[in-house]
Amino acid sequence: MLPARRVIAHVADAAERWCDADFPPRVRATAAIRARLGYSEPVVDYALDRLFSGVTRDALEAAIASELGSVDALDGVAERRGAPAAWARGVDRVVVVSSDTTIGVAVVPAVFALCAKCGVVVKDRSDALVAGFFASLAEEHPAFASAARAHAWTGGGDPAETALFEGADTVVAFGRDDTLRAIRARCGADTRFAGFGHRASIGRLTRDDLAAFDDALAARIARDALLYDGEGCLSPHALFVAADGAELARVASALAAACERVVVEFPGGERAPAHEAATAAYRNLAAFRAAGGRGAVFRAGDAALVLDPPRDEPPPFLPRVIPLIAADGDAAIAAYVAAHGLPVQAVGVVSADAAAVALAERIGAVRVAPFGTMQAPPLGGHHGGTPRIADFVRWIDLG
Amino acid sequence: MTAGALDARVLAAIGAYALDDDAFLALARDLFAYQVERNAPYGAFARAAGFGADHLPERIEDIPAVPAAAFKEARLATFPPNETAAWFETSGTTRGRGGRHELPTTRLYDAALLASFDRMLLADGARLRYLNLVPDPRERPHSSLGHMMGVVARERGDGASGWYLHGDDLDADAFVRDAARAAAAGIAVCVATTAFALVALLDALAERDLALALPAGSRIMETGGFKGRTRVVDRATLYAQASDRLGVPVEAIVAEYGMTELSSQYYDTFASRARVDTRVKVPPPWLRPIVVGGDGRPLPRGVVGALRHIDLANRGSVIAIDTEDLGALTAEGLVLIGRDEGAELRGCSLDAETLLARRG
Repeated sequence: MLPARRVIAHVADAAERWCDADFPPRVRATAAIRARLGYSEPVVDYALDRLFSGVTRDALEAAIASELGSVDALDGVAERRGAPAAWARGVDRVVVVSSDTTIGVAVVPAVFALCAKCGVVVKDRSDALVAGFFASLAEEHPAFASAARAHAWTGGGDPAETALFEGADTVVAFGRDDTLRAIRARCGADTRFAGFGHRASIGRLTRDDLAAFDDALAARIARDALLYDGEGCLSPHALFVAADGAELARVASALAAACERVVVEFPGGERAPAHEAATAAYRNLAAFRAAGGRGAVFRAGDAALVLDPPRDEPPPFLPRVIPLIAADGDAAIAAYVAAHGLPVQAVGVVSADAAAVALAERIGAVRVAPFGTMQAPPLGGHHGGTPRIADFVRWIDLG
Repeated sequence: MTAGALDARVLAAIGAYALDDDAFLALARDLFAYQVERNAPYGAFARAAGFGADHLPERIEDIPAVPAAAFKEARLATFPPNETAAWFETSGTTRGRGGRHELPTTRLYDAALLASFDRMLLADGARLRYLNLVPDPRERPHSSLGHMMGVVARERGDGASGWYLHGDDLDADAFVRDAARAAAAGIAVCVATTAFALVALLDALAERDLALALPAGSRIMETGGFKGRTRVVDRATLYAQASDRLGVPVEAIVAEYGMTELSSQYYDTFASRARVDTRVKVPPPWLRPIVVGGDGRPLPRGVVGALRHIDLANRGSVIAIDTEDLGALTAEGLVLIGRDEGAELRGCSLDAETLLARRG
């Protein structure tokens, strides 16, 4: 079995090859992802750049050390300050079920499981992204050929899948609530289950933020909101602004201008007619309200900003539709989130200060991110509020 | 132009069951001009879109269409509230609000529904007994479907119609009893039903191990209606089972498509009734479908998009209604597409349905 640092080095080297947009396996994966999801090429490129550029030796080692105390703990008993010496022994079998609606979400947990020296099986998708990355790993060192396996299979009642879940030490799954419930129900009694469900994120502009509101900030917000067509769990699905009337319209106008520029850099993807219809209906209803003196609609390419939608409605969760909600203070934001039962992943802010953290704590969010970074979570962060590697090890204490 | 004069023109089209393109446009423009002046919310909406009584649309495609949900936002009527003769309740959505489609008179509404029903379901002139699996208008006077079948049963029935849907509960025993009586008497029936009620009826018959043999000439009018239900049965299966259990040939099962915000209905073409996979629907002459893309512009034939309806019988509200229903126009007519077909969500964002499910 390779030492952890060598595993990390090989993983980082493979990831570095995947950072090259002309790397043939990546070119193939990009085309396949586009065919599967319909996102525009710049969006898929952005996703793959973000995914693989973060997987560096330093970042992996730092993330592991922050959770386990040291990388050495993965190789054997290691001293720990104020606690018994212990070995973070990787579990034998990890299964990662990727989502069919996202890009490469299985890669990061699979990488950490490999760093823990687990045997990893990934339920891949039709684009075979994970299989492609694992092939690169096997080129780095043949040990990965058996340790890391990825292939697509049919879910549901597949007996082979059930056997896989029952025999796994840890199952990581991404998907909608019903998918996660179904997978969890098929896991063994001792299996650790890490489910990553669909979530919402929000943005917040305080009065102080508005005083310094400029085109650069607008550009950062627009980029966060329009990447992945606003369909990610880290996309701000509602922007709360401590302003109303003309001030709110000024913000919307600047954001619309910024969105115009972002849609050039990141064109919208293909949309199913049902989504087109739902989006048009929401936008047109907002236009109807606006004609009656309630709110406004700002169009920006294929994006739309809707001002002051009814508070008794949750965000629309429609592609490239950004509702701007007047909220004078964090209490109003918290009240809205509570009223609609929003499971919030991230809060986009200008300053990640104590007040922002307090808001996140209050509304159940797990990340506070400066605008412009919402779609770029660091590798060492706790996606979904959970650890990166701790679920893949069994501690053996000495003493 | 006065309401009376407009109604007379619409009624003439209904009576003749004919309206050519030029006449349709002319009447649509006059109705539009009337509505923007008397229906304040619609007038404001139309003006924001660049149209008004002094700037009429040149084509029906240009008539500003309100989203159906606008009926939940404002009173869309060309007459004051105290002149409301009837109103129909629109269904709530994922956002929970219902709305009203108000009518100053049911004259146009009833004339339109009867004219279409006569041609599309009673072309043989049959006088049927109506066994209704739709809301009873006496229990739910604001159900447009209940009103429709109430009018049909009253005007075209044999005087012994029955109502078997009470709230969400189906009185299957009463239906079986009355169907057997009709069969014994050799009286052909029309079973008017939502798709969901039909499923419930078939389940009830299966539980009782019953198969009915409705008299020759009997027919089923199916009005859709799985929205918000946890159990959805595909149409081919539903029609095959209905045919087996009720003894009605598949071609005598006719799908109607309408909505509370409209005054007129689409029906399956006669030519497409022999099949169940791709039924084609036709509107009456005073109703036109337009298939539009996300930008609101008309799409070419064969391309799937959202349906916009121009219903000239909607004189008292708005003639142009945008919906989220999907369809495509063909040479034969309108093909409806299920909202879920090809609508797989992307990303890991929460969606409205999941949020609703989480909130119970």
